[in-house]
Amino acid sequence: MRQFFPVEELARDERFHKITMRDRMEDARAGRGIPNADQRRRATSRLTPERRDASDAARALMHGIFVGEIQALEGAGRTCWDFPVGDTGSDRAPFALKLDMARQCWDEARHVEISVKLAQWMGTEIGQYAENTVLFEAACSPDPVLRLAGVNRALEGLAIDVFTTMKEFGDMAGDPFLEFCEDWMLADEVTHVKMGSDWLRRLTEHDPERRTRALEFQSVVDKLFSYGGLRSESDQSAIGLARRFREMAGFTTTEIDDVAAVSQEALDEAKARREQLRVQTAS
Amino acid sequence: MTVTVSPEEFTLVLFDAAALKTTLSDLMTRLGMSERALRVEVDETTPIVRISVQDGDPIVLAAGSGAFEDPRVPRHQSEVHIVTNAGRPLLRLRDRNDGSFADAPVDDNLSLAQLAAWDAYCAGRLGRLGYPVHEQRWRYNFRNRHGFTDVADAAFDRLWTADRLTWAEVDGISEGAGS
Repeated sequence: MRQFFPVEELARDERFHKITMRDRMEDARAGRGIPNADQRRRATSRLTPERRDASDAARALMHGIFVGEIQALEGAGRTCWDFPVGDTGSDRAPFALKLDMARQCWDEARHVEISVKLAQWMGTEIGQYAENTVLFEAACSPDPVLRLAGVNRALEGLAIDVFTTMKEFGDMAGDPFLEFCEDWMLADEVTHVKMGSDWLRRLTEHDPERRTRALEFQSVVDKLFSYGGLRSESDQSAIGLARRFREMAGFTTTEIDDVAAVSQEALDEAKARREQLRVQTAS
Repeated sequence: MTVTVSPEEFTLVLFDAAALKTTLSDLMTRLGMSERALRVEVDETTPIVRISVQDGDPIVLAAGSGAFEDPRVPRHQSEVHIVTNAGRPLLRLRDRNDGSFADAPVDDNLSLAQLAAWDAYCAGRLGRLGYPVHEQRWRYNFRNRHGFTDVADAAFDRLWTADRLTWAEVDGISEGAGS
């Protein structure tokens, strides 16, 4: 079986349509959303049932979770296989780390099944929305520590934020299935992020340069996934930052503050871009 | 019937104005509105799923490009989305014009529950006109506004299968569903 599998060759049937982060950023309309009457009325952009587009927005987000779970499964599986067993060296992975990744595969496979059932429940078809493959791309690094930083800490960290928001959405809407499923998946995500935090610290304990590279990579992925102001502590973002669960997952307060700052920066950039475009359109 | 689409050529999205016109002409015919003129104004600078209708001669349908976009293949148009997102406001307009919805609030003043009820009533009728509609999507939307209960599901079924309701009946079903 081949090692280091390219993102372009991920197996999908005809229902799926893959796009990359570049495709998304090259869409000239990105950030041009001029608020409609409903958005102007609202005091917050947070995904709550009070939003007029709440049901469709929740369905789209749930589909994003679904394809993310598939890629997380593929990524963790690759990390089990791509590296020879070894306790030292940036091209090796300890056997215990591989066991953790195998356990994560088990969790992600279960999450895929849960997500399919939730999609049916919410009236969404598999492949109804484009699949952004950036999660798997973050899982293609030749250094397992960078994979753990980019996938387990940044992307699974984002998953903690998303699941928390969706769980609250289900609670407010009175949807028992959504609330229950998100709560269970959230518990697993906290474990996955903690695995990332623990292994990052353990494997880079005597290699500060490697740790710095990993944290920089994590920051890049965090910024990428905050693109457009999707997630931040501001009510102007659809998804909030779940501080408590991040603490449980091994993030220090400083690290959470850093993620909050990167997210706020992305939101401010998006707002500035929108304002600039609004002025251009008006003139 | 005259259907005009603006702009005639799109630059930010890969929409085809002629195909859009064909789809909307067919929709107007199936809705029994073929004697009316329709002007469609697409704002291609925004990906937001937003659409509004204004009665007059012609009827003006103003849409963000997201309303006609295929979420599976960004920037491309989707016939299903065009019909689903244009069909509901056009049906609301038709309902209002026959007098039985005269006391309904204007679109912007509809509560979320009222809008979900009217949407269910519209989407069910679009399905019976031969267009693909995903019942579970509209049931989920209705449940979000009326509760995840058997009472709400029974109310949704009444709206979904109905062809001739008044505003008082739609509003009454919505209220009785637990909104």
